[in-house]
Amino acid sequence: MSSDLRTSSDARPAGAADTPVVAAPAPKGRRPPVSEDSRLAIEIRSLVERGEMEEARERFGGLVAVHQRRASRIAYQYLRDAAEADEAVQDAFVKVFAHIASYREAWPFEVWFTRILINGCLDRRKARARRDRWFVSSIDATPADEARASAAIAAPGANPEARLLARERRSRLAAAIERLSGRQRDVFMLCHYGDCTPREVSAITGLNESTVRVHLFRAARKLRGFLGGTP
Amino acid sequence: MIVRAPHLRDDRLFDYYLAERAGDIVDPPAAEHLGDCAACGARYAELVRTMDAVRAEADAETDEIFTPERLRAQQQQIARRLEHVGRAARVISFPGRLVSRHMSGSTARGVTQWVYAAAAAGLVIGVGLGSFYNTEWRSAHRARQVATGPETILAPSTAVATRGTGPAVEASDEAFLSDLEVALERPHTSELQPFDALTPHVRESR
Repeated sequence: MSSDLRTSSDARPAGAADTPVVAAPAPKGRRPPVSEDSRLAIEIRSLVERGEMEEARERFGGLVAVHQRRASRIAYQYLRDAAEADEAVQDAFVKVFAHIASYREAWPFEVWFTRILINGCLDRRKARARRDRWFVSSIDATPADEARASAAIAAPGANPEARLLARERRSRLAAAIERLSGRQRDVFMLCHYGDCTPREVSAITGLNESTVRVHLFRAARKLRGFLGGTP
Repeated sequence: MIVRAPHLRDDRLFDYYLAERAGDIVDPPAAEHLGDCAACGARYAELVRTMDAVRAEADAETDEIFTPERLRAQQQQIARRLEHVGRAARVISFPGRLVSRHMSGSTARGVTQWVYAAAAAGLVIGVGLGSFYNTEWRSAHRARQVATGPETILAPSTAVATRGTGPAVEASDEAFLSDLEVALERPHTSELQPFDALTPHVRESR
């Protein structure tokens, strides 16, 4: 498996920025009910193992359709760049298909996929930080994003003032999320943007469920403080 | 005496929010307290409003960027990339002719020996021809010198010696040196030349 699925566990500092997401060990004894997408993933795995690649690709299209929008939302919130988020989502799906043989039904497919996606996003963030040390910063919106935002503001029928205000609100929110520590940001994004429950976040990150709740609560409290609410 | 339950702490309120959002079983005492206490109810409503607003902003932003067309294009792109997964990479043979010829070890050794021999022969021939032409050129040069005679060879020195004689030559030398001096004194930059023309010079005042 690629380095994205880092399986060694607790060697990372809690709250360290952009630390890779490491899976928690699979639960022993009790097995969660298999979800629809997990069942589909298992079918695709069997097809790949039998060498029926065409059929596997076709079935995989169904998985892409189910998870694509959510994946794009998570990737965009991590990367704040539409093109890069697009690439990250594509890479995650391709990686999942290429390594489908190593998928185990101990965890839902969604958890496995999200872990791969987030590791890809974190790698991209790291690469961008490295690039920014030597080249012009790309943290700000790219020209394409700027053009898209301008086009959206100038779109007929749209209220330009409302759109501008929305854009300002979003950039404030993004800046506030950026100010969270790495672990808090991961947990918050997975829970609020990735629709994960604390238990699923625990499975994705390898953190204890109660630790996830604490991170989540602290992240929310900080965010409310940053955004001018009651800290 | 009725003892009023203390207000809910923020973390408990947040847990309540998470449980409610996930559709899990909520904490019954917390639910009861929220029903009774207006202050905690207001705090909870504010928390829910903030978190919902955060989520709604993210949803709206993602919908604006990842339109259905863009998602369709992304799907197609993923499908195209998946076409290459599990297929062996195409290797381009280089250089094709040499590979197809399939030379045996002894043949290859023979070819290498011939290459070395050709290179050595080329070097020897090159050095021989070079030395031959050098000798030829020297003898031809010497013959030319003999044909023109010693006065031709001495002509430049004679010219130098005779140049300083006579007042006409002296005047032209003077003019040449003066021109040279002027050229050196003037600025070389064309933009500065008008300023130079306006400025009085020492040579003009003499």
